[in-house]
Amino acid sequence: MQVTKQGAPAVPAIEVRGLYKTYGSSAVLEDVHLTVKPGEVYALTGPNGAGKTTLIRTMTGLAFPSDGEVRLLGRDVHTDGQRARAYLGAVVEAPAKFYPQFTGTQNLQIHANLSAMAPGGRRINRDRIREVLALLELTRMADRRVGEYSLGQRQRLGVASAMLAEPKVLILDEPTSGLDPLGIGLIHRIVTSLATSGCAVVLSTHHLREIATYAHTVGILTGGRLVDTVDLRARQAAYRFRVDDPVGAAAVLERLPFVRRVSTRTPYAIAHLGGESRVPDALSHLHNEGIRVFEASPDHFDLYEYYRERVEQA
Amino acid sequence: MLTLLSLEFRKLFGARSVRLALLVTLLLPLLWAFAPRLDQLFAPGQAVALVSGWQLPFISIFTSIQFLLPLFIAVMAAEMIGAEVAHGTLAPLLLRPVDRTRVILSKLIVAITYPFVLLLVTLLGSLIAGLPLGYGNFQGGTGLGAGGLVGVGTLTSEAALGEVLRGTLLAGVSLMPIAALALLFGILYLNTAAAALATFATLIVMRLFVVLPQAIQPVLLTNYFQLFLPSNQDTLGKDVILLLIYTVGFGLLSIFAFDRRDV
Repeated sequence: MQVTKQGAPAVPAIEVRGLYKTYGSSAVLEDVHLTVKPGEVYALTGPNGAGKTTLIRTMTGLAFPSDGEVRLLGRDVHTDGQRARAYLGAVVEAPAKFYPQFTGTQNLQIHANLSAMAPGGRRINRDRIREVLALLELTRMADRRVGEYSLGQRQRLGVASAMLAEPKVLILDEPTSGLDPLGIGLIHRIVTSLATSGCAVVLSTHHLREIATYAHTVGILTGGRLVDTVDLRARQAAYRFRVDDPVGAAAVLERLPFVRRVSTRTPYAIAHLGGESRVPDALSHLHNEGIRVFEASPDHFDLYEYYRERVEQA
Repeated sequence: MLTLLSLEFRKLFGARSVRLALLVTLLLPLLWAFAPRLDQLFAPGQAVALVSGWQLPFISIFTSIQFLLPLFIAVMAAEMIGAEVAHGTLAPLLLRPVDRTRVILSKLIVAITYPFVLLLVTLLGSLIAGLPLGYGNFQGGTGLGAGGLVGVGTLTSEAALGEVLRGTLLAGVSLMPIAALALLFGILYLNTAAAALATFATLIVMRLFVVLPQAIQPVLLTNYFQLFLPSNQDTLGKDVILLLIYTVGFGLLSIFAFDRRDV
């Protein structure tokens, strides 16, 4: 359990407990539990119709659960919605939807005014609106009506709107949908930066290899059940060394006190080092033992393969 | 609350259906000023002679309150939810730290204001159309006071203005429940066409219920569309209270229905 400096247990940013959602006799979500800590990026994935959008809508208070509860920063989003959403930024549709007759700035101003309606909410000034527009590279479009925006621009405006009130919880449904590669990179940087500053991020996505590079946790939802939660941080401490003698290299690495696990995958020796700072040390030992190292890089966990297996088993 | 109200009014006047309704209600009275067979609408076989511009508001309101104004109001109020759902703009609104009750309350306030807006525009159009007839004292009636269009002697322009404003206000009151009902259907169906259709079907069925016993008649909304007529002044207080109860009732049902509605 995470502990604050004062010693009190940290309140999870998002807490979903025993969530059920049924439409008539059809169950869309069944007994979903998940917890997201401040600063964590949680990616939600699963096949089409798995219940991702329903889960996101229920987590944000747009839909009501048949059973269970969702808490944002300790407040129930369905019974104390106004307070629970005070620090929430969210985009639940792709592309994000705005009033087409108003400009980007006017739409953000509307959201700024609504955000200020939170109990104790502070006003969001025009500088902040300009700042988020600039951050999402929309300054040029700021005074154009949203009806003239491309899908990608609307999606970026959605993210701008979500981060407008400096949220502590960010929930995004398919945030990179409709974006070009530069736009995708931009969203990744923003999400990572927000998480670094302590914001909890939940996003739904199908882009597994992309998400594997910056998400901390991946939840796999299929058939309305959260069948697996993968802690990517634990799996990404591995590094691979392309060497002339993988078996010999593995033997050398295994003797090092900071190495937790070693394996080979020709032409690589793979070691769990416990952190990037150990890489030079490992390289030095390999060199001293006469092993030629051609390349050293993080051995990314193949989330796609893992996901495929998991969904097939479910 | 002011933030939400201001947003709702901005959306109201930005809606195409509202702009069309405002244009029609402004221009339609011009037709009555130049209609040679006007008597066909009121008393076939008896000539309706207009002698003052003060008479046109009555004709405009009388002719539009049966179908046109309820139609415009039903579509607009249904659209307040349906269009937002269709355009996906309701969800972003509810993702903000805003109380759902306030969201619906602001929509309800704007919805029940809309009949008055339409009637004021109708009045404006009528007053423009009546310019050639003049607005001085005249022999006859406005249609909204004693004696109908025939009147009971000479009517001063001040008295005529008073009758016209009172009639317009009462016509607005009689349309308020329709706005609230359409909003309720909007929440139940989350679809503009379905909600407007349901509202209009309800009104048509209520019209057909005139065949039912007299005891049923006081609860039929459609029986109050002519509340502004001088012949209905005896029970005015009771009728207005009933219409307000309908409006508040539909409003409360809307708030209740929206409070735990999946969006």
